[in-house]
Amino acid sequence: MRTLATLVLLSLPVTAHAQDRGPILAEITEAHILPRFANLSESADSLASTAQADCLPGSSDLRAAYGAAFDSWVSASHLRFGPTETGDRAFALAFWPDTKGFTPKTLSRMIADADASVGDAEAFSQVSIAGRGFFALERMLYDPDFADQGQAAYRCALIQAIAADIARNADAINADWQGYAALIMHPGDGSPYRSGDEAMQEHYRALTTGLEFTADTRLGRPLGTFDRPRPNRAEARRSERSLRHVELSLAALKDLALRLSADHPEIASRLSQAFDAAANRAHALDDPTFAGAATPQSRLRIEALQQSINDIRSIVSTELGPTLGISAGFNSLDGD
Amino acid sequence: MTSRRQFLAGLAAASLAPIRSWSAAGAPDFLAAALFPDGLYRLAGLSQRGEILFTLPLPERGHAAAAHPELAQAVAFARRPGTFAVVVDCISGTEIARLTAPTGQHFYGHGVFSQDGRLLFTTENNFDAGEGMIGVWDVANGYARIGSFSSGGVGPHDMVLMPDGASLAIANGGIETHPDSGRTKLNLPVMQPNLTYCDLGGQILEQVELPRSLHKNSIRHLALRQDGLVAFAMQWQGSVTQHPPLLGLHRPGTQARLLSAPDAAQSTVQGYAGSVGFSQDGHSVAITCPRGDALHLFDTVTGNFTGSFTLEDVCGIGTASDGMVFTTGTGQIGRVSTAKATITAQAQCQWDNHLVPILRPTN
Repeated sequence: MRTLATLVLLSLPVTAHAQDRGPILAEITEAHILPRFANLSESADSLASTAQADCLPGSSDLRAAYGAAFDSWVSASHLRFGPTETGDRAFALAFWPDTKGFTPKTLSRMIADADASVGDAEAFSQVSIAGRGFFALERMLYDPDFADQGQAAYRCALIQAIAADIARNADAINADWQGYAALIMHPGDGSPYRSGDEAMQEHYRALTTGLEFTADTRLGRPLGTFDRPRPNRAEARRSERSLRHVELSLAALKDLALRLSADHPEIASRLSQAFDAAANRAHALDDPTFAGAATPQSRLRIEALQQSINDIRSIVSTELGPTLGISAGFNSLDGD
Repeated sequence: MTSRRQFLAGLAAASLAPIRSWSAAGAPDFLAAALFPDGLYRLAGLSQRGEILFTLPLPERGHAAAAHPELAQAVAFARRPGTFAVVVDCISGTEIARLTAPTGQHFYGHGVFSQDGRLLFTTENNFDAGEGMIGVWDVANGYARIGSFSSGGVGPHDMVLMPDGASLAIANGGIETHPDSGRTKLNLPVMQPNLTYCDLGGQILEQVELPRSLHKNSIRHLALRQDGLVAFAMQWQGSVTQHPPLLGLHRPGTQARLLSAPDAAQSTVQGYAGSVGFSQDGHSVAITCPRGDALHLFDTVTGNFTGSFTLEDVCGIGTASDGMVFTTGTGQIGRVSTAKATITAQAQCQWDNHLVPILRPTN
């Protein structure tokens, strides 16, 4: 390789001078991340054992276990890095949005073929991610279209296989996070993060993409346009969990945002107020599946909730980002 | 609005005496969009030296533009998921036509003219189907839409006309978006970008895919060397702890080559290349990395990384008479050769993503 020619042309440094990120990184890892994956692992194991005992789609025990495990996933689902991303584990837990209907297609095909992978955990882990995870299980538990496809015994085995695969995945994520925790808390040699700033940026990205997903996808997809609202595209509407996911994600993202801004009390305070405003709007909505997207009056209230999340995003990108060495450049922010 | 007859007369006149040609617009080398201090977005004609030869107002933030090969006409595309594109006469500054994407589709921000300037091709998203499209527009007929065909993938972004004038190279980024969800990426686990070559009727000639482990490397922007070597710049959608190559070189009928800086430099650019360009002599190719405030330079023969330059919010890049020219989001315009990067002008605006070359006739 030829000589590395580097010419420094910056008149101003783009990152703040080096700060000790250690305490915040430790707090985020130990108080925000690890408990979430421990909860996920525990509730997913419980889901798998409940399904083993009772695989009827209408079983209240099974549905309760499903809800509890899905709650813990949604509360951790913004943490899509490290062990969560390995082998597309996060997507295998929750493949949504499913814009091309891969989940029902995959499930119908498995049922029609009586696909033998349901009897072998290893083989099932190789099934398309669209046929696994919480959204596949939701179809099996709540979608009338799947209530009478194929044989009851196969449907039972499929429900148990999906639940067991969720548990396997959740356990693997949780186990790997025990080791990965030290890497993100202690950037530098031996860590995939070269500096404290880089590790902070990973958490920042989790916050911004989490907010984007909730505003633009969880709310944006059912809202559609005024002329063409799409309430049938609400996330997990069959189990009536759509609004609940927005509330759970806001609570989780608020916790992360306040920890990320711990060194900047003014920003933390503004973020806290903005999150509370959004949570209040969500709480007042009383529309679990965003069915109201289709009627002007109730639609306005969903749009107001979306706007209140966009207000949080604006504080995050213009105030919090720059404190973490995130360039707020015209092109670097554009993402195109 | 120019009538068809006037337009055709102008076209005929242009072929005899190029009064409506780019030279009458100050002979710019590039088009670039920018945000100005008054809060307005404008399209500018730029010389290699960084002189602003004209500016024309845009309705909102643009992305890239397409330059007519003879007439001083530019098509400025909205930033995705925009549904408009405006055709401006760069001499008078007037809007000649406005392109509206068909219902159910939006523009992806790039487009290219045919060699004779009679057709305009635009990258588009058929968003309910989640399929990439190429729109075809009839220049002489007031930019009327006359057809469309599949882009050969999802999320087509940049597109270039190959030197044979008979085929297009399309960067299908692989990322599905829907305007209801803004710019949120809807299909990351199943995305499959490709580089598609097709004829001007949409018949696919060749498709290049990355190895499976790189399926989250979105192929977004293209540059073309006059001998037909295509450079493609990528944006990594996978884990931030991985630092895959963000530049590829491909010649139809051969394997693609992926180029990367050593990990110490590669790891600083946050998996994001904004634009790509070749040097005038074709020996060098560069990507701009605004998230790492870096411009990375490579040798096109050996594929070796030959240098990194620190440039705040650098993004636009194009071929200049003695190397390459770049623009930044802080308003700087500069030149890069293998040895150095020099700022040649500072404009009072923020240059947007791309520098679009104007290929003036050689007569």
